[in-house]
Amino acid sequence: MLKIVVFIKQVPDTGSKAGVNPDGTIDRARAKRMLNPFDKFALQKAVELKRGVGAFVTCVTMGPPPATEVLVEAFEHGADMGVLLTDKRLAASDTLATAYALHMVVRHLGDFDLILTGLQTTDGDTAQVGPQIAERLDVPQVTYCEALSISGNVLSARRVVEGGYQNLEARLPALVTVANSATPLEPKRFADVAAVKEFLRHPEEREKRIKTVSLDVIGANPAHAGLVGSPTVVGKTWKLGEIGGSCALFQGESVEREVEHLLAKLASDGHRITELVNG
Amino acid sequence: MAKISYDVLLVGGGVASLSAAHALVDAAIRENAPLRLAVLEKGKDFGAHVLSGAVSNPRSIKKLFPDYETNGFPLEGKCAESHVTLLGLKNAWDLPSFASPELNKVGYLILSLGDVCKWMASSLTQKAKDRASIVVDLFTGFGAQEIIYEEGRVVGVRVDSTGVAENDVCHAKVTVFGDKGFLSKDLVKKFNLAPNPQAWAVGVKEIWETERDYSGRVWHTMGFPLLGGNTGGGFIYGLKDKKLALGMAVGLDSENPALRPPQMLQDFKKHPLVQEMIRGGRIARYGAALIPEGGYYSLPTQFAVDGAVLIGDAAGVMDLKGFSGADKAMETGMLAGEVVFDAIRKGDFSTKTLGQLRHAVMGGWIGRELTSSRYYLQAFKANKELFSKHLPRVVKGLDGSGVAAGAAAAFLGDPFGLVGSAVKTKIMMAGTVDFGAVKRKEDRLHSKPDYKANPKEEPAGYAKNTVYSTADVVFYASTHYHHGNNHITEFDAAVCKRCIALYGGGGNDVPCAGDCTAEVHETRTKDGVKYHFMNLENCVQCRTCELVCPYENLRVNPAEHGSGPDFSSM
Repeated sequence: MLKIVVFIKQVPDTGSKAGVNPDGTIDRARAKRMLNPFDKFALQKAVELKRGVGAFVTCVTMGPPPATEVLVEAFEHGADMGVLLTDKRLAASDTLATAYALHMVVRHLGDFDLILTGLQTTDGDTAQVGPQIAERLDVPQVTYCEALSISGNVLSARRVVEGGYQNLEARLPALVTVANSATPLEPKRFADVAAVKEFLRHPEEREKRIKTVSLDVIGANPAHAGLVGSPTVVGKTWKLGEIGGSCALFQGESVEREVEHLLAKLASDGHRITELVNG
Repeated sequence: MAKISYDVLLVGGGVASLSAAHALVDAAIRENAPLRLAVLEKGKDFGAHVLSGAVSNPRSIKKLFPDYETNGFPLEGKCAESHVTLLGLKNAWDLPSFASPELNKVGYLILSLGDVCKWMASSLTQKAKDRASIVVDLFTGFGAQEIIYEEGRVVGVRVDSTGVAENDVCHAKVTVFGDKGFLSKDLVKKFNLAPNPQAWAVGVKEIWETERDYSGRVWHTMGFPLLGGNTGGGFIYGLKDKKLALGMAVGLDSENPALRPPQMLQDFKKHPLVQEMIRGGRIARYGAALIPEGGYYSLPTQFAVDGAVLIGDAAGVMDLKGFSGADKAMETGMLAGEVVFDAIRKGDFSTKTLGQLRHAVMGGWIGRELTSSRYYLQAFKANKELFSKHLPRVVKGLDGSGVAAGAAAAFLGDPFGLVGSAVKTKIMMAGTVDFGAVKRKEDRLHSKPDYKANPKEEPAGYAKNTVYSTADVVFYASTHYHHGNNHITEFDAAVCKRCIALYGGGGNDVPCAGDCTAEVHETRTKDGVKYHFMNLENCVQCRTCELVCPYENLRVNPAEHGSGPDFSSM
């Protein structure tokens, strides 16, 4: 059976405005939280493989203890095991330090066939961590992968490139970052959600399925993690300004009249209207 | 995979169900008894599909949460000022409070029922936390799709239509239906529980952010824009944070096959009374929901069958007199909690034990009030002239030289008719005289294919940017459906074609399209043939189409995977 590791992350909910400090940084304690939307595509690929060829899916996340919530969400979608890497010394990690810590989790877990990650996160937006983990583990990587299949120990993948696709083959174990044009995450199934609620009630079962590890447990060097392990220096953040643009609403009349007003407005703004398609 | 099974399964996450769940957990704590309970809520969150006024008598909230004023229970405010207002085209006239004491809401709580549901769900989890013998599983994003029977008794529901079929059944010793009819209508039909059909009204509502603060102020209106004999009215509730809830409710038993509820609400906003409040403001949300207004004579003969009970709007305990729905729904939930807990203790889930619910409900204040208001709806329905003929006259006079002149004009026009209708209406409303049992026919049988609407009159001088086309307003319901969603069943396309021909021949739209609250139904033409088409992605899950379809050719199924509208905070 395939051993799949999926990296997921809890990010501030983009739908809620709460949780931004006056200096523009994110107040992560106050912000509503959600599963990074990009990671859902990776999770879907893992679940597909599990239901197709059979796989054991381990989801790994790094963050403060509430990040367990995204592991629970992954279980509800069909993941088998969850690992939370949590350690105060990981605070303020940049991509170099994060990739170091996460690759140590994989080493700690042992053998694997496939690592799936999202393209990027919605809070950092770097798209660097996945590829860096592959480099540190010295395994082949396929980025921007839209579709994949596995035959024996060969991975066939379709990679999105500008203006088209690349069809690639790689030997397992490998790391794949899944594009956001891949299959969206399937809805949860009732039986899966009920089963998760059941096992969460039993402490011994819960401990078996959700492992919480620290830097010491995974044998990582604290000097390479967190702020001290991060060469990136954030000098200053500032607001570039609001995205502007004006919006005109035409309403309160018949659609025909509203369209006439819109056309008149476009014409007066200097736009050329060449053709009106009927129907 | 082991069978998923609970002691009690609550279908629907509204106030009735959540009150039942609280009562059950309270009883289990009190008696130190084990309890396994699950709640199925089809919305993505509790409250996401809940839409209600709401100005509520605090009695049930007080009973369930005696410390509701301090424990974080979400209140929009307390009603400090209550108006019953007659609307003409230009003017508005406040009825003296003795004319309709049941609508004096001073001291009542102004609520967002969706917020209440959300709070009740999270406080339920808190209550059960750290108690190993009490299991409370809340499933959001999962709607019950079908009732499962074994040997004639209800044993649970099928939850989902994806996944592996045998894993998607939730079993329970007792299934409690607080689903406003989505599934419980099948139960009522199968066990022949309703000698009289339910009478439904549809309510449409917008939330506005306004320049001025109207919190604590409440208006119920009659007259414009309902001057064509339809029963219904408008409401304006001042919420906290400079928000305003504006809405219209109208009975679905209309001869008019095209009530166009969202348009009715736009017309309502054109009235100077509303204009003054919303000018300079902006719309925040739109939604629609059904209201079971049949009351006493539409109640099921039993609130229970073997293995299941009906509560809240599924039982139809809403009282049109004073618009008392939420408090009664909560009370039926609490009573059901006690009855079901007793059944668990006895290990008897038959109609005999669960059937105690109807006695508990009808033997208490709900029964008293519903009995006294048993002719209230009928007072409007039986005296159609009062609304189609006399009210417009009064309103015309109101716009002219005042309400006295309006009343005088109406009186002079038809003195015996007016006085007769008014007196009869008043007597029926009071409920002290026995008129015998009321027989009703289903709402869908009232529409007339050849209905001729009166020419529409509307107020002048309203701000154009405060009213919307229906297509625009539906956007504010924030509906979201998954790809391939197909939640309304059209049983036979040929029936729809015949219906289109019949109503079209009378110069009318078909009822599903004419009464739709969210631009879902429309008539399209292909190769010269007219057919029924549905824009399912707009649907707000109100179920109006199902009830007005003259041929029972439509069925609205509960949304799946947390799809549908987002009514949170409505």
